[in-house]
Amino acid sequence: MTEVPELTVENLTVRFAGIVALDAVSFAVAPGTLHAVIGPNGAGKSTCFNVLSGVYRATSGRVTFGGHELTSMAPHKVGELGIARTFQNLALSPMLTVEDNLMTGRHRLMRSGFVRSGLRWPSAVREERLHRDRAREIAEFAGIGKKLAHPVGALPYGDQKRVELARALCGEPRLLMLDEPVAGMNATERHEMAELIVTVRESLGISILLVEHDMGLVMRLADHVTVLDFGRLIASGTPAEVQNDPEVLRAYLGEEAAS
Amino acid sequence: MSKLRYLPLLLLLLPPFYLDLFWLQAGLFVMAAAIGAIGLNLLTGSTGQLSMGHSFFLAVGAYGYVYFAGESDEHLVGLGLPPVVAIVCAVVLAGLAGLAFSPIAGRLSGVYLGIASLALIFIGQHVLFNVHDVTGGYNGRAVPPLEIFGFTFDNSGDVAPFGIPFGGLEKLWFVGLILLGVSALFALGVLRSRPGRAMNLIRDQQTAAGVIGIPVARTRAAVFTLSSMYAGLGGVLLALTFQRAVPDYFGMLLALDYLAMIVIGGLGSVTGAIVGATFVTLLPQLLTRYSDSLPLVSPPGTGGVSPADAARYLYGAAVVGIVLFLPAGLRGLRIPSLTPRKETTP
Ligand SMILES: Nc1ncnc2c1ncn2[C@@H]1O[C@H](COP(=O)(O)OP(=O)(O)O)[C@@H](O)[C@H]1O
Ligand SMILES: [Mg+2]
Repeated sequence: MTEVPELTVENLTVRFAGIVALDAVSFAVAPGTLHAVIGPNGAGKSTCFNVLSGVYRATSGRVTFGGHELTSMAPHKVGELGIARTFQNLALSPMLTVEDNLMTGRHRLMRSGFVRSGLRWPSAVREERLHRDRAREIAEFAGIGKKLAHPVGALPYGDQKRVELARALCGEPRLLMLDEPVAGMNATERHEMAELIVTVRESLGISILLVEHDMGLVMRLADHVTVLDFGRLIASGTPAEVQNDPEVLRAYLGEEAAS
Repeated sequence: MSKLRYLPLLLLLLPPFYLDLFWLQAGLFVMAAAIGAIGLNLLTGSTGQLSMGHSFFLAVGAYGYVYFAGESDEHLVGLGLPPVVAIVCAVVLAGLAGLAFSPIAGRLSGVYLGIASLALIFIGQHVLFNVHDVTGGYNGRAVPPLEIFGFTFDNSGDVAPFGIPFGGLEKLWFVGLILLGVSALFALGVLRSRPGRAMNLIRDQQTAAGVIGIPVARTRAAVFTLSSMYAGLGGVLLALTFQRAVPDYFGMLLALDYLAMIVIGGLGSVTGAIVGATFVTLLPQLLTRYSDSLPLVSPPGTGGVSPADAARYLYGAAVVGIVLFLPAGLRGLRIPSLTPRKETTP
């Protein structure tokens, strides 16, 4: 495994017509740690992920990962740096099998293009076989090893979430970003997913940036927590520190009272 | 066992020995259309990029061949290259035309590309009707017969296997089969490996595709170029079969025919493209052939519903029916022995 650099976010601001989704937010993800970003709905968490993965352009601010400035990069360039993510709403190819979906995650590590694939060039065939083996290993690891031949669209929601995580792992990332990985799951599925995240972290030693609403989960897994509210960073620290922060309590209780 | 299911394909070698010219020509039209449809299906079915410009690239292939292989005379220009070289050049030319359009094809997605590519048809028609020297203008231009290693694909009667004299279409049949076979296998190879998966993800989840490390615009541009080359090859075979290239043919209706083929046969599937091409190509031929005995359809030029129109109504209805009831196209109706199933290698 290549060495994992630090991710630093400095004064990141994102404006959409009229609203400020992120307002001068700064934080850093230390190598090999699990960093959680929490906050009420609409706080700007997904927007932050979208900037980090090159999907949205920042209005101002800097994001760096191992000497690379991410804010001006196309998404596939960010992917090439070894930054992988999952999406809050699933973003899989429903008609492809689990195995083929995982193989899309290995795209950046493979080389065969149209000509070599079309002609079934020996190097392309070999490459395909090697990467399928690795994708199957990762599927086992993620607990979907028995579903490889199923079309993804036919799987239960919880399994699709796992496929997304496994697809991200298939890119052999150095930084893994998970956007609400347990949203919509029942208690058992949540528990299993949390275990999987812990295992990923312990066995791969990569950095993980986690957005999640499930406070219990965040408090249990995270080394460091950043709290956003209406695009502003309102607290940052260890789970214990953040938990008792009056601003955080207000943001969360306020939200609960409103809903 | 797994290889045995391809055996029925050998039956495709028989028609030149048994069928008359009408059916041979119809069969060759099917093969040409199938090659073009496979290309369009790579673009539209597998990558989600609509193209209305496919008939333009068919025309580039057809006229490219005529130009590269044809001889110059007082009215027309041609390079007089050996026909095989001319085929390669025509396909490359179609690819270059696709490449020239690919900055647009890479940036626009789905329906927007469909609208932008309409422009190609209008440009194409204008050029075909006006560049007389190359295209022969309204009346078109004769297509030089194929010639491989001094072996001419015309009716010279020099080849007569089993005592059956082979004319141009009989010989061309085998060339058509080879071209279609190679085109289909190449497309399958693409679809079942790295580029094919990338194309599918671009179609289904464009943002995720980018994030995963797939260069979305570049991949779309490459698929567009590849699909133009397929159209070019289809156009060459069309021209060789028809033996005359006429500009009128390569208009908007033809582009719609190709879209109908891939929808009817099954989006994103090579088999589907072939099935759809067969359906859409044979229907008007059948209606023409049997227009005397069919109610409501009158022979061309006698007023009433012409076979070509009747065929369009019919497959228009087929498109609607399939979109409503058979989302996977005719290919979704599996014929067990003929349908290659995807191997799950251990
Ligand atoms: N593409 C977009 N265009 C306009 N507004 C957006 C867009 N994406 C997000 N927003 C807005 O930015 C704010 C933050 O959204 P988001 O990042 O999705 O919040 P979270 O993930 O924390 O729930 C919301 O007000 C949302 O409506
Ligand atoms: Mg969100």
